[in-house]
Amino acid sequence: MDPKLVEVTQLIDRFKAAFKASNFDVCSTLLSQLKVLLTKFPSLPPVFQQTPNAVEELKLAREIYEQAVILSVKMEDQDAFERDFCQLKPYYMDTCGIIPPSSEEYPIMGANLLRLLVQNRIAEFHTELELLPAKALDNAYIKHGVELEQSFMEGAYNRVLSARQTAPHETYIYFMDLLVKTVRDEIAGCSEKGYDYLSINDAKQMFKFSSDKELQQYIAEVN
Amino acid sequence: AMAAAAATVSSAGGILAMLHEPAEELKLHALASLNSVVHLFYPEISTSIPAIESMYEDDEFDQRQLAALVVSKVFYYLGELNDALSYALGAGPLFDVSEDSDYAQALLAKALDEYASFKTRASKAMEELENVDPRLETIVERMLERCILDGKYQQAMGMAVECRRLDKLEEAIVQCANIHGVLSYCISLSHQYVSHREYRSEILRCLVKIYQTLPHPDYLSICQCLMVLGEPETVADILDTLLSGSQDDALIAYQIAFDLVENENQAFLLNVGNRLDSQTPVDPKEAAHADRLAKLKGILSGEKSIQLTLQFLYSHNRSDLLILKTIKQAVETSGNVCHSATICSNAIMHAGTTVDTFLRENLEWLSKATNWAKFSATAGLGVIHRGHLQQGRALMAPYLPQNGAVGGGSPYSEGGALYALGLIHANHGEGIKQFLRESLRNTSAEVIQHGACLGLGLASLGTADEEVFEDIKNVLYTDSAVAGEAAGIGMGLLMVGTASEKAGEMLAYAHDTQHEKIIRGLALGIALTMYGREEEADTLIEQMTRDQDPILRYGGMYALALAYRGTANNKAIHQLLHFAVSDVSDDVRRTAVMGLGFVLYNEPEQTPRIVSLLSESYNPHVRYGAALAVGISCAGTGLSDAISLLEPLTSDVVDFVRQGALIAMAIVMIQTNESFDSRVGTFRRQLQKIILDKHEDTMSKMGAILASGILDAGGRNVTIKLRSRNKHDKLTAVIGLAVFTQFWHWYPLLYFISLAFSPTAIIGLNSNLEVPKFEFMSHAKPSLFEYPKPTTQQATTSAVELPTAILSTYAKAKSRAKKDAESKAAANQEKTAAEAESKAANQEKSTEDASGSTSGKAADAMQVDSSAEKKAAEPEPAFQILTNPARVVPLQEKFIKFIEGSRYVPVRPAPCGGFILLRDTQPSEAEELVVLTDAPATGQPVPGASAMAVD
Repeated sequence: MDPKLVEVTQLIDRFKAAFKASNFDVCSTLLSQLKVLLTKFPSLPPVFQQTPNAVEELKLAREIYEQAVILSVKMEDQDAFERDFCQLKPYYMDTCGIIPPSSEEYPIMGANLLRLLVQNRIAEFHTELELLPAKALDNAYIKHGVELEQSFMEGAYNRVLSARQTAPHETYIYFMDLLVKTVRDEIAGCSEKGYDYLSINDAKQMFKFSSDKELQQYIAEVN
Repeated sequence: AMAAAAATVSSAGGILAMLHEPAEELKLHALASLNSVVHLFYPEISTSIPAIESMYEDDEFDQRQLAALVVSKVFYYLGELNDALSYALGAGPLFDVSEDSDYAQALLAKALDEYASFKTRASKAMEELENVDPRLETIVERMLERCILDGKYQQAMGMAVECRRLDKLEEAIVQCANIHGVLSYCISLSHQYVSHREYRSEILRCLVKIYQTLPHPDYLSICQCLMVLGEPETVADILDTLLSGSQDDALIAYQIAFDLVENENQAFLLNVGNRLDSQTPVDPKEAAHADRLAKLKGILSGEKSIQLTLQFLYSHNRSDLLILKTIKQAVETSGNVCHSATICSNAIMHAGTTVDTFLRENLEWLSKATNWAKFSATAGLGVIHRGHLQQGRALMAPYLPQNGAVGGGSPYSEGGALYALGLIHANHGEGIKQFLRESLRNTSAEVIQHGACLGLGLASLGTADEEVFEDIKNVLYTDSAVAGEAAGIGMGLLMVGTASEKAGEMLAYAHDTQHEKIIRGLALGIALTMYGREEEADTLIEQMTRDQDPILRYGGMYALALAYRGTANNKAIHQLLHFAVSDVSDDVRRTAVMGLGFVLYNEPEQTPRIVSLLSESYNPHVRYGAALAVGISCAGTGLSDAISLLEPLTSDVVDFVRQGALIAMAIVMIQTNESFDSRVGTFRRQLQKIILDKHEDTMSKMGAILASGILDAGGRNVTIKLRSRNKHDKLTAVIGLAVFTQFWHWYPLLYFISLAFSPTAIIGLNSNLEVPKFEFMSHAKPSLFEYPKPTTQQATTSAVELPTAILSTYAKAKSRAKKDAESKAAANQEKTAAEAESKAANQEKSTEDASGSTSGKAADAMQVDSSAEKKAAEPEPAFQILTNPARVVPLQEKFIKFIEGSRYVPVRPAPCGGFILLRDTQPSEAEELVVLTDAPATGQPVPGASAMAVD
């Protein structure tokens, strides 16, 4: 086996171990080493050179970037998420069946939709959707994002807030939390105009807070 | 695997994302990837330009140049060439000059442009400009080196010339294997593409330097360059060295001299001749050397070539007196203008042949010319005897003013005779100058002064002789309209191409005087002084073209045309076109359009295209100018486009446009025949029709008469050529045509056209400058270039009869065939075959005959044959053997081959034409020489003409 492949495989194993141990700093160091190693693989995009190890290399590279995306969620680093996702995308879009589809593809695509929603980049959200094949819309991960966006646009904030419970993947929780925050800000903005005053209970219900304390905390944050 | 073959990224997003990775290696990798996909994803990448730019600007970053390259490419694809170039410069060595991509090519071109324009600016600016961007210079240098390495020498030389890098030019030339070929390429390059005169001289000087370092220098080319540079000393040195060398060297010296003479630069030739005088070395072989020197000086003085030309034109004269006779009969009643035109036409037809039979036969008719017509008629003798240097004065003696005896003859014939002397000695006037000066000083009659001024100007063309100038100036200051006009022109002729400050003096006088004629003469004269000076003339041109007086603006047009003659300079063309459509004076507009012809004669193919719109102008003056412009620049080319443009103008609604078009057409068609272009035949018939038509007006009749003369000029052995075979301009010819066009205002100036005639001959000469018997080949059908058929007796009706003759033969053959349907068919065929055979034999005989004397009837019959019956006749031979000296028209020159193994070998392989010095490979054997004679009638003036002078 190609020594470079061996090296990469070993590093991935170490990365996964560290990831399991939630040792994210080690993870990110390992990851950047991995990325550098990947630049030595000629079969990767944009070159797509047809080497004997091409399939292996492509699969490994894809896995690494998938891990990178997931790690970025863990580290709550949206820039890294975007960067890594962009680099991962050609492996999903442009490999033309050289490698079998990845099981992580839709979860990560879905997560990306959520990220765009959170960042309020609606145009790009729709661009991404357009790029997906029609049947992908039936996929649960994608559907989740699409429905959320619809609710968000319609102003059905209660559905957005309750969707957190139905998130299909653990990485989504991070984005859902952020989304909830976005939605609460929207509600706060509207209620400021709409009501002279609100009772604690009404407010708690409207903002979907489970306790007074949470509400107080939020009010403190906003003001 | 099939699918894998198609795998490409659909977006540069991934790579752009990688650009933002914190790790340096990843950034580099991303940049490298971007560099390879820029052409696909530049729109996406363009949004990230600021990021990449900041990488370039980051001094710490070690791949700044790669970043610059990527940015440059993106800008290139976005169409921002300036930004692209500035970043490409930042890319340093990463910008690959040998890359074969559109990007690299476009940016290299841009870089070259920038650099060249910078260098041009730098050379013009008085004060020091800031230095050129060294990175730009490096790129250009790398590109030049690349070209030299790849063996693309022509490209390298072109770039070096454009960028004013003579060091690189030299480098390219020296490294090239075929150095002689490359040098001549450079010479033509400098003439065609370098529009700045001074810089062109610089290039030529550089080329001469390289030439001189070669083991076997090409002295022929060197001397041509030196002539352009105006360095007679060096030429004299070279000639002197060659004369002291072997026999072959001497031959080359002679050849150089002939080539220089062809360019007609009298002042330069005199200079070379004088320098040869002063340095005759004392030498044991002095006798041989002196002999050679004498021969060489004979050539340089022009005497040898003039003498040979004269002999050639006399012995080969093929003029068709019947045409003249027809004209004479037709215009008997048409008045003075046509009468004069006929005399002029005769002079042109016999220019340089010394054949004055027509005049002798029609003395009474001739004597009808009075006043200025007589002046012209007498001048016409000068045209006929052009180049008759020894006999010239004797010939004209009866008409010349007798010393002291005023009133002996008519001033008109006396003036005309002085003008004639000028024409005879044009550009070779050392022998006659003194006589003309005396004649000028001894008279106060303005007509005689007029003739003398023109004569003096012609004889001392371009010599800038101070004394002569003073003499003419004195005439000018008498402020006589008639004499002053000629004085102005004469001064211009004298100072041709000197850019002398005398022009200022002339301009001042032009502002002073009240006489339009004088102003016009001076305006043309000033223009003449600026001949060939290109940008040096700009100030004066500016001054003249801004003048309030339309006559001076008109002179300004001439100045523009002559200063930029044969350069196809864009600026000059632009200016002329501007005046052609915007000036308020028709004269100025007409001349501006005509000037285009002079500026463009080095690229005749261009002219019809450039003036085609103008030729459809609503303004007849502009149409007239367009016709003449085409005539001048396409002179003697028989160019199809030119003929197509002129054809409709010959039947224009305005009479003078028809006149101009007819004359221009004749100038274009001179020395081409019907088998070369069928429209030549049509045109000849059209001329005849116009001349014979009683209802045709005088203007176009005059045009037709002159056109007939020009078509058959010089006994059908001369053409009009404004460039020598070495692609330099023929000064006398250009000047001749320029003054000729002035006939619009003054008919006697028509005769200046004779200056533009050059013989179409190949004359081979041995080391004694004798003409040996010797044969060479013309690899073309003889009929393509043969003399036009002489007109038949019933010339008056031949135009109508020719087609009917064909028809009747055809009809007869047809009816006979029908009648004798089967019985005689076989016999008939046999007869036809026999006929064809005999004709073929006839044809063969005629081709063997070197002079090509084919009976016109036989050839006519052949034509009837081939068109009416099936093509039974044998095909015409594809070549022709010519004997020295032979008529070879310009278009034929490229078909001329010397026969291998012939006794005589030319010292100059190409271009093939004119005077050719021959090396004798069997010098021990006796040579067979061709004896050429002058006119038998030398010394005998036309008796009737003297009668004419008396009356």
